[in-house]
Amino acid sequence: MIRSNSEALIRKIMATFVDKELIPRAQEIDEKGEFPMEMFQEIGKMRVFGIRYPKKGGGSGGNTTLYCIICEELARGLMSVAAVTAMQCLMGTNFLFHFGTDALRETYFLPAMGGEKIACFCLTEAEAGSDLGNVSTSAIRTKDGYLLNGMKSWVTNGPVADFYTILCQTDPAKKFKGLNFFFVPRETPGLSIGKPFDLLGTRTTPISELALTDVHIPCEHMLGQEGRGMSNLLSILAEIRAMTAALAIGLQQAALDDSIRYAHERAQFGSTISNYQLIQAKVANMATDLEASRLLTYKATHMVDEKIPCLKEASMAKYFSTEAACRAGDEITRIFGAYAYSMEYSAQRYYRDNRFLLYGGGTHEILQPNIARWVGL
Amino acid sequence: MDIIVLVKQVPDTTEVKLDPKTGNLIREGVESIINPDDLHALEAAVDLQETHGGKVTALSMGPPQAIDAISEALGMGVHEGILLTDKAFGGADTWATSFTLGKAIEKIEEYDLILCGRQAIDGDTAQIGPQVADYLNIPQVSYVCEIETIEEDALVAKTRLEDGFERIHCGLPALLTVIGELNTPRYPLMGRALDACKEKAPIKVWNAADIGVQTSQVGLEGSLTHVIKTFAPKFKRETEMLEGDTREMVGDLMGRLKENRLI
Repeated sequence: MIRSNSEALIRKIMATFVDKELIPRAQEIDEKGEFPMEMFQEIGKMRVFGIRYPKKGGGSGGNTTLYCIICEELARGLMSVAAVTAMQCLMGTNFLFHFGTDALRETYFLPAMGGEKIACFCLTEAEAGSDLGNVSTSAIRTKDGYLLNGMKSWVTNGPVADFYTILCQTDPAKKFKGLNFFFVPRETPGLSIGKPFDLLGTRTTPISELALTDVHIPCEHMLGQEGRGMSNLLSILAEIRAMTAALAIGLQQAALDDSIRYAHERAQFGSTISNYQLIQAKVANMATDLEASRLLTYKATHMVDEKIPCLKEASMAKYFSTEAACRAGDEITRIFGAYAYSMEYSAQRYYRDNRFLLYGGGTHEILQPNIARWVGL
Repeated sequence: MDIIVLVKQVPDTTEVKLDPKTGNLIREGVESIINPDDLHALEAAVDLQETHGGKVTALSMGPPQAIDAISEALGMGVHEGILLTDKAFGGADTWATSFTLGKAIEKIEEYDLILCGRQAIDGDTAQIGPQVADYLNIPQVSYVCEIETIEEDALVAKTRLEDGFERIHCGLPALLTVIGELNTPRYPLMGRALDACKEKAPIKVWNAADIGVQTSQVGLEGSLTHVIKTFAPKFKRETEMLEGDTREMVGDLMGRLKENRLI
């Protein structure tokens, strides 16, 4: 039976989209610094946001590997567009899909799959980043629902989102077991959205604070069984880390492609710089890092798809691939020389955008001790 | 309205390498895409189907990997794909290709309209569409940039001429070759593209026997034309940097241009 390979086909479709639609507009979108609504909706029309959800639930019937291929390709074009897509496909909609009522799914999840509504995920607080046990945003049970109070920070898509999945503490005495996710539509009274942060990289991914003051929501807006918030979060942690690794691969590929192109064009001392061994060494290191990142990342995604526990593998992929993206962002600025210092060239963007990858999905200062522990230290 | 779209998978570059022995394209290592003009034909077909109902079939002839072009077409909204693949089809000229496609269309039987791109970026002949129409003995309109009206038994198409446009009324069934101005092709939907990769996908794979042709009628053997030699033109350029002050360099340059009878 002759049939196409789904991973190759989805990569090809996305690569064509990125080459034709995203890369030619990447500089302009980045300079504008606003949420890339038009691009977001175009991606929505292709039903990309449903890639990891089953068809019968309104998704596109793919899996984590396909999701990561999409993230990688979009990140090759522009990291901030890839970041908002990653959020929409996974963290922003996952708990609504699995634990939301039919009515909520109908009103919010299905439009989100088509890019008609923007999703958002709120974990971090001033005193709770890596240390999620310290989340202090409270959800107090009332007669007919919950009353939410607190302040979230580093909320990706916060300024533009239509709905929020928010991690709250229902009983501080229970620590992790008191953590639960709640669904809050944007129009809910008591929800205030801060001004977008002025960011170093991914400048069109709007990030802000989110204040909750006596936000009252009905009982059915608790997403998941009470006390299962942390374990539900852990159930997608490997996927989050693999996705971050895939974003880093996209940035590495873009930096490598542009480096090779530039090295072939730039002539010094009567020869293009591609003929100089120190430039060749940089390109060789970038290409090797990229290959290793792909092997680590897609090993992890295939394990996720096979439902094999792989937090260690996904953490290694996230750690290695992101560090490699940081190296690639640095190396391209040396290959481009002073032109990398100009905002007119792409090199500066890769140099700035790679920092975005360091924080989400676990800082490396958290991942490294964990990896060491998992291998027996 | 039942529509057949002729789709060709081509190498994703206009700078293809040629096999010096056979004169054929070397496809290995070159990314393949749906021929750009064919994307406009697919878009037109799906758009017409969405308005008028019916069924859209994508028909392609090529090696087994051309299945990817069919899958992409299904992702865009085509209902069924047919891939004509057989070693016997290899090396076909436009005559043998049109004959093979015509035979497959005869087997499909039911159609109101056949759409195809004006020409493929690898061969650039623009002959397949007209030759298929000729084989099927149906009207053809080429270089279509707008389908103005379409009814059960006729359509009006606007075509691009070198120095203007032409409006043509044409009975159905007919074959149109389309150009890029016609529309903006949509991207495939993820779910549809994934469905196209499944075993149960609505894709048929036909060989020479399936369409009832002898191997002597198709491929290299069935071709009326044979490539004697294919070669890439060689451009020789030599650069020489002139030295001296501006007056000397301009004088030197003028002298050489005159010497070579270029001015």
